[in-house]
Amino acid sequence: MTLKLEVIGVEPACKRCKEAKENALKAVEKLRAEGVKVEVVKLDVMAKETMDRFGVVRTPAVALNGVVKIMGKVPDPGVIERMIRKEL
Amino acid sequence: METRRLARTAVMLGFILAVVGLMAWSIIAKLTITPQATAEDLRALPLWLIPFHYLWDYAQHGWLCLGFAFIVSGLFQEFIPPDVMIRYMGSGDWRAYVFATVLAPVFCVCSCTMVPIFAGLVYAGSGIGPALTFLLVAPANNLLADIITVQVMGWPIALADMVAGAVSAIAIGYLVSKTRHGREFEERFKGRKQTSASIDLVEEPLDDRLWNALKFGGFLAKQIIPSFVLGLVLVSYFQAYFPEDLVRTWLTGPTGVVVAALLGGPLYTPTLIEVVLGKALMDLGMTPAATVAWLMGQPYDIPNSLSASKVVGWRIVITYGVLAFVSAVLSGLIYGAVTGGF
Repeated sequence: MTLKLEVIGVEPACKRCKEAKENALKAVEKLRAEGVKVEVVKLDVMAKETMDRFGVVRTPAVALNGVVKIMGKVPDPGVIERMIRKEL
Repeated sequence: METRRLARTAVMLGFILAVVGLMAWSIIAKLTITPQATAEDLRALPLWLIPFHYLWDYAQHGWLCLGFAFIVSGLFQEFIPPDVMIRYMGSGDWRAYVFATVLAPVFCVCSCTMVPIFAGLVYAGSGIGPALTFLLVAPANNLLADIITVQVMGWPIALADMVAGAVSAIAIGYLVSKTRHGREFEERFKGRKQTSASIDLVEEPLDDRLWNALKFGGFLAKQIIPSFVLGLVLVSYFQAYFPEDLVRTWLTGPTGVVVAALLGGPLYTPTLIEVVLGKALMDLGMTPAATVAWLMGQPYDIPNSLSASKVVGWRIVITYGVLAFVSAVLSGLIYGAVTGGF
């Protein structure tokens, strides 16, 4: 099963949104080495599709399999890693 | 592991309490936190020394206030559950206005979170009124700006600014939603189904959360301090050499209120600098009434209007810009009439 990790931020990316994505990629890289399949997608919070799916969110936000797990802060890679492990 | 977490929590709590305590003490002891140099002091210095003297003057007094503001902003950012505002502001009736006014200031110290929420509220069909109120209150009354305004301008003006800012943001939001453009705009999003994401936020231990709060405070400091320092350098020259006659002619009396409201907006300066610049103008003779109008000019500054116009279009931006100008003038006049501060 492939998990879907979505990082929601403003476009062009502000500093905190970039950091959130970098941390997400770090966490995912570590998990991939263990054979966990995770797809990472960057979403623009102002895009119509994003709003249709998520409504109003505070950026940066991170959603896992469509559920918003982090809002309005930059998560550490460790936090994202634990969050994904919980879903396995 | 447990002891380490406990120790980390204790150290961070101690630090936060120390800063808050120092701040409380400085308020009780009525220590001055603003630069003390007058125009004469500054003019007596060689040209290159003026900004350094002014910055040093500011640093001596202002560090505590700034540190406090950054830490408190960080704590609010971390510990207020983010879904609260979104849930209540989407309600679309009068409660949405109340929540927009009360919560925007503590939520949005960073402007890059503000426009997406504004756009989100508009697109989600929760009404252009509360969304606009939110957009106008957030920069004018954000926590950082409020703390600095109180310290630099003193309570009467700061309080007048906050109250007037909140009242006019509600009035403007409501009025715009009743105009033809506003109604047409709302129609476009009415039929849409209200989506709200399924939210299940990750929980973190207390020491990590405190650390997050401090980190966010540090992030704000890094964002704001460079432009703040640059602004202070400009303000120092301004205070030293700006002709007092000009201020006394144009920034006093009822005319002064109108002129200050005109200058306060389009002349875009980051909020914190606007406050210091306002203080310099006051020292040069701007009246308290004009100062209130000056401070109220923030919501219609140019960058803010530009990003809003991408969401709602120019016509609505111009409508609320004009209304914001009128309310800045009215607030200044009322303040002047009530306190005799013309």
